[in-house]
Order: sequence, then C-alpha cells, then structure tokens
Amino acid sequence: MTQPVTIVMIEDDEGHARLIERNIRRSGVNNEIVAFANGNDAMRHLFGADGSGLVQKGNALLILLDLNLPDMTGIDILKQIKENKYLKASPVVVLTTTDDSQEIKRCYEFGCNVYITKPVNYENFANAIRQLGLFFSVIQVPPAAT
Amino acid sequence: MRAEAHRRRAFWQILLLSAGLLVLTVISAGSVYLVNKAREDSKWVLHTIEVENQINALLLEVRRAESSARGFLLTQGPDFLSDHEKAVAAIIPALDKLTRQVGDDPAQRDNIEKLRAAIETRLDQFSREMTFVKQGQPDRATALIREAAGGNTTTTIGNMANAMIREEERLFRLRTANSDRSQTLAASMTGIGSGFVVVLAMISIWLVRRSARVRDEAESRLRDANVNLETVVDERTADLREANDEIQRFAYIVSHDLRSPLVNIMGFTSELEELGDDIFRRIGGLTNVSADGSPPAPGAPGEIALEGADKQLSEDFSEALGFIKTSIAKMDRLISAILNLTREGRREFEPVKIDTRELIEAIVSTLAHQAVEAQAEIHLEPLPNLVSDRLALEQIFSNLIDNAIKYLKPGVPGEIRIRGRTKLGYAIFEISDNGRGIDPKDHQRIFDLFRRAGTQDKPGQGIGLAHVRALVRRLGGTMSVSSELNAGSTFTITLPIAWNVSNRNRDR
Repeated sequence: MTQPVTIVMIEDDEGHARLIERNIRRSGVNNEIVAFANGNDAMRHLFGADGSGLVQKGNALLILLDLNLPDMTGIDILKQIKENKYLKASPVVVLTTTDDSQEIKRCYEFGCNVYITKPVNYENFANAIRQLGLFFSVIQVPPAAT
Repeated sequence: MRAEAHRRRAFWQILLLSAGLLVLTVISAGSVYLVNKAREDSKWVLHTIEVENQINALLLEVRRAESSARGFLLTQGPDFLSDHEKAVAAIIPALDKLTRQVGDDPAQRDNIEKLRAAIETRLDQFSREMTFVKQGQPDRATALIREAAGGNTTTTIGNMANAMIREEERLFRLRTANSDRSQTLAASMTGIGSGFVVVLAMISIWLVRRSARVRDEAESRLRDANVNLETVVDERTADLREANDEIQRFAYIVSHDLRSPLVNIMGFTSELEELGDDIFRRIGGLTNVSADGSPPAPGAPGEIALEGADKQLSEDFSEALGFIKTSIAKMDRLISAILNLTREGRREFEPVKIDTRELIEAIVSTLAHQAVEAQAEIHLEPLPNLVSDRLALEQIFSNLIDNAIKYLKPGVPGEIRIRGRTKLGYAIFEISDNGRGIDPKDHQRIFDLFRRAGTQDKPGQGIGLAHVRALVRRLGGTMSVSSELNAGSTFTITLPIAWNVSNRNRDR
C-alpha cells in the first residue's frame, strides 16, 4: 500500500478477530489494525461524535466487516458507510459466517466491495485470510474524500 | 339428550297420527252403525203405523159387513147382499195380513188370536143370518142379530182392536223415541268425532311447525358451526404455519450461530497444533544438545527424533488434537446439513410443467459413472408428467436413484427400475432395486435426520432421505418404503399431478 492505510476490523467474536489479525500479519501486512467488538463503538470511530464522518477526512481506510453483531447488523453499517460522502470510497470487505446467497446479493447491492464467507475448516480459513492479506498489500485504497 | 328429545317428538307425532286414524275409523264405523240403526228404527216406526192402518182397515170391513147385513135384512135388496159378501170376503185376508204383520210381538199375537176367534164367531153369525134371510125367516135373523149384540161379539171385536191399537201406539212412541235417540247419537258422534279430528290436526300442525322451526334453528346452527369450524381450521393452520416458520428460523439461527464458535475452536486447535510442534521440536533440540553437546543444525528443523517419554507425550498430544479435529469436522458437517435443510425449507417453490422422463434421464446420465462402477442398469418405464417444482423433483429423484446405486448387493449386478402411474389426481412413482434392502424395523428410522441403517460401509450423513421426505411433504405428497433385508427396496412417492402454488405461497 502506497500510503499508510488503517484497517478497521468490526468483529464481535474476539477469537475470530485474533485469528484474522494473526493471519493477516502472517501474509506480511503490517498496517495498523483497529478492532471493534460491537457496532456502536465502530460507528463512533468511523463517523465521529457528530456522526458526519468528518473525522476520517483524508484518512485511507479499509474496513473488514462482520454481519452478525450483537447491537446492530453489519448491513446497517455497510449502508451508512456507502451513503456517507467521506467514507463511501473506502473498500469494505464483508467477512462473515453466512453463505446465504440472498445475503451475499444484498451486500453487493448495498455496495460492499468483497464478500468472503469464513470457512469453518481452519486451514481454509487461514488460507483465505492470508490471501486477503496479500490482496490488501497490492490494492490501492483512496483516502476518504476531501 | 337432543337425540332423546328428537326421538320423543317423532314418537308423539306417530302417536298423534295413529290416534287421528283410530278416531276416524271409530267415527266412520260408529256412524255407519248408528245410521243403520236409525234406519232400522224408522222402519219399525213405519211398521207400527202400517199395523195401525191394517187394524183400522179390518175394523172398517167388519163394520161394513155388519151394516150391509142389516141393510139386506131390512130391504132384502140384492145390492146389500153383494156388498156384504164383498166385505166378508175381504175380512179374512185382512186378518191374515194383520196376523203376519204382528207376528213379532207376543202380546199382539195373543190379542190377534182372541180377535180372530171373535171375528170368526161373528162371520159365522153373518152367514147364518144371511141364510135365514134368504130362506124368508127374517125373525130368526133379527133374533140372531140381537143375540150377537147381546153376546158381545161386536164389543169384543171393538175392544180387541182398541187394545191392539193402544199397544201399537205404545210401540210407536217407544220406537219413535228409539229412532230419535239413534239419530241424535249419530249426529253427535259425527260432530264430536269431527271436532276431535280437527283438534288432532291442529296439534299435528303445531307439532310439525315446531319441529320445522327446530330444524331451521339446527340448520342455522350447523351453518354457523361450519363457518366457525373453517375459521378455527384456518386459525390452527396459521398457528401451525407460524410454529413451523419459527422452527425453521430457529434451526437456521442455531446452526448459523453454532458455526461461529466452531471457527474459533478449529482455528485455535490448529494454532495449538503448530504451537505443539514448535514446543516438541524445542524439547527435541534441547535433548539432542544435552546428548552430544552441540546445538542442532539450524537448517533442518522438525527432523529431530524424540525419544522415550518425550515421544509418548508428543504422540498423546497429537492424538488428543486429532480427536478434537475429527469431532469438529463432524460437527461442522452436521451443522452444514441442518443449515442446508432449513435453507431448503425456506426456498419458494415454483411450479412448472415438467417432462418427468426427461428430468430423470438427465439425472441418470449424471449418475452414469457410479452406475457403471456398481454394474447397475437403470430401466425407465413410462412416467406421467407433472406440474411441480423442478429443483425439488431433481433432488428427490437423484437422492433416491443415488441411494439405489449406492446400496446394491456387492457382486450382484444391479437392476434399478423407475415406474410411474396416475391415480385420482396424484402421480405415483416407484423406484425399486434389487439391492441389500432395509430391515422393516428400520423403515421409520431411515427417514430421520442423521439416522442410517444397515452396514455402515458407505459415506453419508443420514440426511438424504430426511431431505427427500421433507421435500415430498412440502410438495403436498407422501412417501413410503417397502423392503426386506437382502430382497431389494421399493420407494413409493405420491405427488399431486398439478401442484398449486397458491396452497403454499398463501402461508408466506
């Protein structure tokens, strides 16, 4: 990544968060990873106290999003990110257990950039995350709109 | 209770009708009898009058004979003589007639005997008088007349006749009274009977109207009950549907949410495995160092052989992890299966016209490889076409044909037959094989989720038949199996020929 990109990880399961982080690191990605275990904390971080998203202006963000959160659905977060003028250009990777085709379709319709189903088999899981890490290391991420 | 009342009412009506009929019969019989009796009585009244007339006629003849006899005695004119002879000739027949008429009455019979004796005496006197007059001895004739008058013959005749007339008058009064009574009785009987019939008819009409009203009420209650029943059925169906949907959602959420911790267990187990490898490699390195005094070659990690207790520890560690991993893999498969089933239960069916033969031929061609391997031949017999959900039918038939190929008897060439027929709006399909068969005690079990039967030498989760049965049920059909161990199996599926989308989508 050409400029410091912050990875925002919204994942309620701490075990999953840890496994994802480890595997991303193993693929050689050393960017800062900010983790949130619930939707509200993540929203406050992304949109700021005023909810406008102005706080993230100029920052390059990559968002890793789980759909099943204790306090809200990931889809709501996705929608708000894609409707916000500062954040809508930031890539959103949905990483969740659901492989329901309706759900996948809905996410892409709302503007998610990548949808990955967490494989239950750990080897596949680790492999997928590592490949995602490799993907992170080559993609261009725009800064939040100025 | 209601049936009892009903029976009682019916009983009363029958009783009423019988009573009405009986009354009518009695009245008719009574009327006929009384009218006859009245006629009889009238006849007797008439008879009495006739007898009186006859008595008077007889007396008249006797007087006529007497007066003409006197006339002849005085004038000796032949006119009087012929008149007298005519009157005398009429007396005996009139007397005979009277005798016949009063033959029924013993009192009158006595009277008439006496009357007859008196008249005969008088007739004898007449003939003697006439003889004397004709012989020219009028004095003797006059003496005879005086004798007759003195001997009371004429008086006796008059008295007897009067007695008879009195008797007949008595009879007349009696018989008139009888006749009147009979007529009154007949009239009142008819009147009372008619009134009775009218009353019975009214009661009957009232009963009929009441029972009609009761029937109408019952009918309307029945209608209400029917409407009510439909509502109740609809409500219950809606409840069941809701419960079913709830179960579906529950199963989905449970299986879905179970996956999440499973990822952790799987992930950290793998992490542990790697950690374990690292730890044992280190232990191996340290052991080797202590054994020959030099550190292990840095380029070849993992090649260090453990010895003794260390090796045992490493093996135990790997074995424990191996069990955990296979269990997780199994749990993962089960959860995936539940997830797939619930997802299948949520899928909307779309009825299309299906060429069943074409559909099954396509399935058979995808299974051709397995069939050849198992030395199985698949025969298709004529099959009825359906309107149903294509994907569901594909899953049903491919599962069943796949099972048939999978569970053949080893070493025996397989023969799988698919037959079809229609009956009362349903298509019946039979998939039969000559395979290993299913013990009858397992016939229910094989349709249960995660349950299998027979020798467990083939891979599988015990999901196929559960899934097939769920699909068949959702398509409004039924399925059953008939099989004996080692004697092949026949699975029978009954599906509606035209599956109606409305009867399923209405509940969505």
